Amino acid sequence: MSAEGSTTTTTARSAVEALPPKSREYGAIGTTSDEPRWGMAVDTERCIGCWSCAVICKSENDIPLGMWWNRILTEGEGLDQPTVDNGGDMTMGWVPLACQHCDDPPCEKVCPTGATYVGEGKLVMVDQDNCIGCRYCMAACPYGVRVFNWGDAEYAPPAGTGVVPPRPTGSVEKCTMCIHRLAEGVVPSCVWSCPAEARIFGDLDDPNSDIVAKIKARGGKQLLEDKGTHPKVFYLEPRRRRPL
Amino acid sequence: MTTADIPSGTVTTRSQAGSPQRSRAWNTWVGALVAGLTVGAFCFFWQWTHGLGVTGLSNTVTWGMYIISFMFLVGVSAGGLIVVAGSELVESHRFEQLNRLAVVVSAAAVATAAGSLLPDLGRPQLVWKMLVHPQLSSPLLWDMVVITAYLTIACVDLWLLTRRPVNQVAMRRMAIITLPVAVAVHSVTAWIFGLLVARPFWNSALMAPLFLSSAMVSGTAMIILVAITVRRTTSFSFREDVIERLGRLMLWFIAADAFLLFAEILTTYTSGQPDHLAQLDELLTGKLAPVFWAEILVGVVVPFVIFSRTSWRKRTGLVVTASVLTLVGVFFKRINILLSSLFEPLVGLSPGIPGGRPGQEFTPDAIYIPTWVEWGVLVGMAAFFFSLVTLGVRRIVLTHADD
Repeated sequence: MSAEGSTTTTTARSAVEALPPKSREYGAIGTTSDEPRWGMAVDTERCIGCWSCAVICKSENDIPLGMWWNRILTEGEGLDQPTVDNGGDMTMGWVPLACQHCDDPPCEKVCPTGATYVGEGKLVMVDQDNCIGCRYCMAACPYGVRVFNWGDAEYAPPAGTGVVPPRPTGSVEKCTMCIHRLAEGVVPSCVWSCPAEARIFGDLDDPNSDIVAKIKARGGKQLLEDKGTHPKVFYLEPRRRRPL
Repeated sequence: MTTADIPSGTVTTRSQAGSPQRSRAWNTWVGALVAGLTVGAFCFFWQWTHGLGVTGLSNTVTWGMYIISFMFLVGVSAGGLIVVAGSELVESHRFEQLNRLAVVVSAAAVATAAGSLLPDLGRPQLVWKMLVHPQLSSPLLWDMVVITAYLTIACVDLWLLTRRPVNQVAMRRMAIITLPVAVAVHSVTAWIFGLLVARPFWNSALMAPLFLSSAMVSGTAMIILVAITVRRTTSFSFREDVIERLGRLMLWFIAADAFLLFAEILTTYTSGQPDHLAQLDELLTGKLAPVFWAEILVGVVVPFVIFSRTSWRKRTGLVVTASVLTLVGVFFKRINILLSSLFEPLVGLSPGIPGGRPGQEFTPDAIYIPTWVEWGVLVGMAAFFFSLVTLGVRRIVLTHADD
């Protein structure tokens, strides 16, 4: 994979441009305000727990083996195990989890070098050049979505996919909301790839956007709301429980 | 013995006051320090070139032995403050003979504490970024500020204490600065943990007072141990009742520390908050229970009993035992504080947090077993601390022993 940032940006551009017109059209970001505040809604009624978004995230962002920016948690006790609700019915649900891109990010506040910052589109970003690898952000994140580069990275495929620049050993990384795709007007790859269309991406500050309408209609909930982090990822709860 | 031998004999005694005897014990000690430093340097180098993957840390347990020893050493550095600044402010000359020794131990501890953050970094070569890109809302940044201030104060104190005669006015002024800075060092270190909403067990207003009380306990214990050791191995001496009085102080410090811990645990226990309770259960009955109950027995009960009787406080063997046990207890306490929170992430649903290394998937059940690299670095840090103490004792304490 290419190591220089400039060439990788070019690769990223061509990767999105290489998409067939229909794919691009399918992934086009809808209406936005002048200064978008990017957010995501996850419709847990539609999520089938297939891990497609987690897998495409790994190849899109060249996430080394053993690390995940995005993973699908199972509600209840065990992985992909149903739980029994109060009425005695068995239910099964998933919580797709990645960086919540908090409006009040605890990770940003504790980072001693400002390597974690709130960047374009109000997204929480990591500047790998300034990350000293103290992992304070990982202790501060209530969601446990940050991963650390513990050693020399190994990729699948071995050469990597080269869409985004590699992260150095000893630095922290996490979901970027596919900021390289947003620059191209295309939604993050997890949104694009979801076979159940369970993910809705858009501008939380645009009252006309699809995401704002969905959150309003379905009463979107944020994870660990009581921690005061104000996540920009919302979970739309199932309107009805379907007993298994 | 002839009369001609007497002057040369006197000279020998003087030079021995400045440097401990070149005895077998001294050689062994220096050898051990050099060996420890070598082991530590090698392990640090090994880790630096291979990445932090050679430690037992993971994306769940992100901090381990280095941060535990950092907390512990910051605590140990409190000793000098109590002995020097505390007595100065209440105009007591009770511990005056220990002044220089105490400040040496403090300076060594705080320097080693700052040093023990380096191996914890994934990219130690970039630590200077903290200076050029400081994020002022980060407690870690402020901790580096107060630690630097504390180290500077300790050095100024040492310089003042080696002037003759000692400038009492300057010492008084230094004491007035030292106390708030020392309180800040322990509080800000506590707030590294205490200000995180993500960790309910840390996120307590009692965190800073608890760190302060544990610091008093471990700091005083270390002063007692170093003082007794230096008195036994060199010409250094102090009044008999000094240790006994420090032991009496220990009684209060241990009691205060245990009280704060009890208040914290009782509040958590009755809070009924599931996340908070999960982390407490790790301590009381979970994976950390052996370390927690050892902390209570070894760090609180036994030393408290020993220090509670005047006649026992006068027996060096018992005092040394109690002090060592307190240090072990406080070290256990640091382990418990750190790991109880890290073991229980707030979002703990299956499959958990990714392990992080190739072939390592998810770790829903967090464990942390330090590797040989971490133990090696720890040995190196201990050697570094005792090298600084030895150097300080030889160059500063013993050379100015006669005033």
